Amino acid sequence: MAGVSRVRRQLPTSPWLFAAPGLIVIGAFVLYPFVSTVVNSFTDRRTLIPGRFVGLANFRELLHDDMFWTGLRNSTLYIVGVVPALVILPLLLALLVQKNIPGITFFRSAFYTPVVASIVVVGLIWVWLLDERGLVNSLLEAVGIGRVGFLSDQWLLLLSAMAVTVWKGLGYYMIIYLAALANVPRELHEAAAVDGAGPVRRFLTVTVPAVRSTMVLVAALSSVAAFKVFSEVYLMAGPSGGPAGEDTTLVMLVQRTGTGLTGRVGYASALSVVVFVVTVVLMLLVLRADRREET
Amino acid sequence: MRISRRTFAAAAVALVLPLSACGSGGDDGGSTDASGKVEGDITFQTWNLRANFKPYFEGLIADFEKKYPGTRVKWIDQPAEGYADKISADAAGGTLPDVVNVSPDLVAPLAEAGLALDLDKAAGKYKSEYLDGAWASHQVPGLSGTYAFPWYLNTGPLFYNKSLFEKAGLDPSTPPKTYDELFADALRLAKKSDGKVATLANVPTIEDFGRYGVQLMNKEGTGFGFNDAKGVELLSKYKELYDAKALDPQALTATPESSGKKFLTEAVAMNPGSALDLGNFKKQAPNLYKNIGITDQITSTGHVNMYVMGVMVNSRTKHTPAAVAFAHFVTDARNQMSFAKKVAIFPSTAGSLDDPYFTKEDGTDETRVRIAAAQSLKNAVNYTPVLFSEQMKTALRNEVAKALQGKESPKTALDNAVKACDQLLKQQG
Repeated sequence: MAGVSRVRRQLPTSPWLFAAPGLIVIGAFVLYPFVSTVVNSFTDRRTLIPGRFVGLANFRELLHDDMFWTGLRNSTLYIVGVVPALVILPLLLALLVQKNIPGITFFRSAFYTPVVASIVVVGLIWVWLLDERGLVNSLLEAVGIGRVGFLSDQWLLLLSAMAVTVWKGLGYYMIIYLAALANVPRELHEAAAVDGAGPVRRFLTVTVPAVRSTMVLVAALSSVAAFKVFSEVYLMAGPSGGPAGEDTTLVMLVQRTGTGLTGRVGYASALSVVVFVVTVVLMLLVLRADRREET
Repeated sequence: MRISRRTFAAAAVALVLPLSACGSGGDDGGSTDASGKVEGDITFQTWNLRANFKPYFEGLIADFEKKYPGTRVKWIDQPAEGYADKISADAAGGTLPDVVNVSPDLVAPLAEAGLALDLDKAAGKYKSEYLDGAWASHQVPGLSGTYAFPWYLNTGPLFYNKSLFEKAGLDPSTPPKTYDELFADALRLAKKSDGKVATLANVPTIEDFGRYGVQLMNKEGTGFGFNDAKGVELLSKYKELYDAKALDPQALTATPESSGKKFLTEAVAMNPGSALDLGNFKKQAPNLYKNIGITDQITSTGHVNMYVMGVMVNSRTKHTPAAVAFAHFVTDARNQMSFAKKVAIFPSTAGSLDDPYFTKEDGTDETRVRIAAAQSLKNAVNYTPVLFSEQMKTALRNEVAKALQGKESPKTALDNAVKACDQLLKQQG
C-alpha cells in the first residue's frame, strides 16, 4: 500500500517538461496579465500608485461615463460595418482568383499584399490619400464634386477607417476561403449545372452551403477583431479619437485612460474586462447561430 | 520519470517569482543624503537629444568622469514620441534611470509617487545658482520641495509664411502679436483665399488660455477656472475662425506632426515650432524657407509661455551623491551656456541671460532673434499647470472641439472641461 501511495503522490515528469515552455509563456504573457487585469479592475490603482480595493466602483463609474458609451457605440458600429463586408467580399474574391488562368498568381499576391503591409504604413498612406488636400480630394474637386472631409467629419472618419480595415483584411480571409473552396466537390457543381442551375444559383445552393462553416469562422474572427479595433482608428482619427473624441473605440479608451504617468490603471482594467466579456458573448452568439442553422 | 509535489511546487514558485517583479517597485531606494563621496555607475536619460547633440553629451560625460574619478555615466536617449509612456513603464517597473530629463508636468506624478528626489533637501545649496522662477518650476502643488534642477528654457518661435500674408494684403513685416491682431489677420487671410488658406492648424490649448489672460487655476492649485468670461471669449473667437475656415477644418484631430505638415505644404500660414524646424524647412520645402518669417508667440498678457526642461534625480538611486552631482553638472551655468551656443535654447542659471551672447547685436538675423527671445524670456511665464495631465488635455481638447462644431456653446463646453479636469485632479489625489 505504501508503494501505491508513493506512486500516487508523484506526478509524471516527461509530459510536464514537454509542456513547460508553452505553459511558462502562457502563464507569463496571458494568464498573469489577464488575472492581474481582473484584480486591478476592482481597485483604484494608478500607474505609479498601488490601488485600494473599491469593489464595483469602476464598473458603476463607466455606466455614467459618456466616453464609454461612445466607445461601445463605435466598436459595435465597426462590427456592423466591417463583418458583413469581410464575410462576403473575400468569398467573391476567392471565387475570382480560384480559377487557374495565366497571370492569376499575380492577382492572388496583389490581393494579399495589404495583409503583410504594416498597419502603421497603411494607415499613414490612407491619411495622405484622404487628407483635405490629398489625392482623393483633388480628384473629387477635379470632377466637380468638391472636397470631402474624410478626416474631419466624425462619421466619414469612422467609415474611412472601416474601409481600410476591410481593404487590409480582404486578402487574409480570401486565403481562408480559397482553402475551403478547394474542398468543394466539383461533382456537385456539375450535377447542379446538369439540372439547369446558372452561376448565381450554383453559388447560392452549392458554394455557400459548402463553405458555410468557413463563413461562420470568418464572421467570428472578424467580429472579434472589429470590436477590438485600435490601430486604424488611432492612426486616422488621431490620439484624441476624432473630433471631440467622437470616433473613440473601446480599446482606444482603454489605452487613453490607462497609460501615461497619471494613467488610471484600475478604471482602464474595468474597461478591458467589459471588452473581454463582450468579445466572449459575441463568439458565443456566432457559434449559437451556426448551431441553430445546422439543426 | 516522475516528479514529486515538492519539486512541482518549487517550479511553480520559480515561475511566479519573476512575475512578482512586474508590479510597482518597492520602497528599497537609496538615500536622500547627497553629501557622501561622488562615485559609482549611474544612468542618464535624455529626451530626443542624441541625434543632434551626440558629441556635446559625450564631451559633457567625459568631463564629469574626469572631474569625479570613480564615476561612470551611461547615457541613454529616448525618442520624443511616447517619452511619458517610456518613463511611466520604467517607473512602474522599478527601472527608472538615476538622472532623468523631465518637464514639470512629467515630474509631478513622479514626485507624488515618491520617485523624485527633493532637491530642496538634497541640493538646496545650489538653489541660488538658478533663476528663482526656473527653480520654482519643478515644485508641485500639494507637496513641499523641488523635484528637478531647472535646465534649459525656451519660448519656441512662431513661424509664418510671408508670401501668404502678402497675398492677403497683409504686411509680412508686422505679423500679429496679440490674439486680437491674430483673429483679425486670420479672418482676412481666409476671406482673401476663399477659405483655402487657414492661419492656424491647432485648436486652443491650455497655454493659449493662459496667454489670453485667463486665470487657469485657483491660487491654492486645487481647482481649474478657465471657464471664466475671458476663457469663454477666447473660445468664441476661435469658433468664429473655425466657421470662416481661418482655423484648419482638420484642427480638431491635428497632432503637432500633422500641423507641421500643413505648414510645410502652405495650407496654413502660421505654426509654432522649434529652432530645429528651420533646417527641416530648408531641406523639405526650399520655396517655403525663402518666405519664412519668425516671430514671438501670440500673447495678450505681455508674457510669452516659457517651456522649462529639468533634470530629475531618481529618489531610489543607489548613488545619490553621484546622481545629484551629475544632475547639477549638466545644469550648471558653464555647461548650460555651452549647450546654448549649440542650439537656440536659453540657460536657466542666474545672470546667464545677461551674457553678451544674449544681449549684443552683430547684425545677423540669427542674433537678432536670439536677443529678442532672451529678452522676452526675462518676463516669460510657465503657463502650463504642473498638474495638467494628458487625460486633462484630452478632456479640454474634446470639449473645445464640441464648441467649435457648434454642438455645445463655448460656455457649456468650458464648464464641462473644468468639471472633468477637477474630477481628474481629485482622482490624482
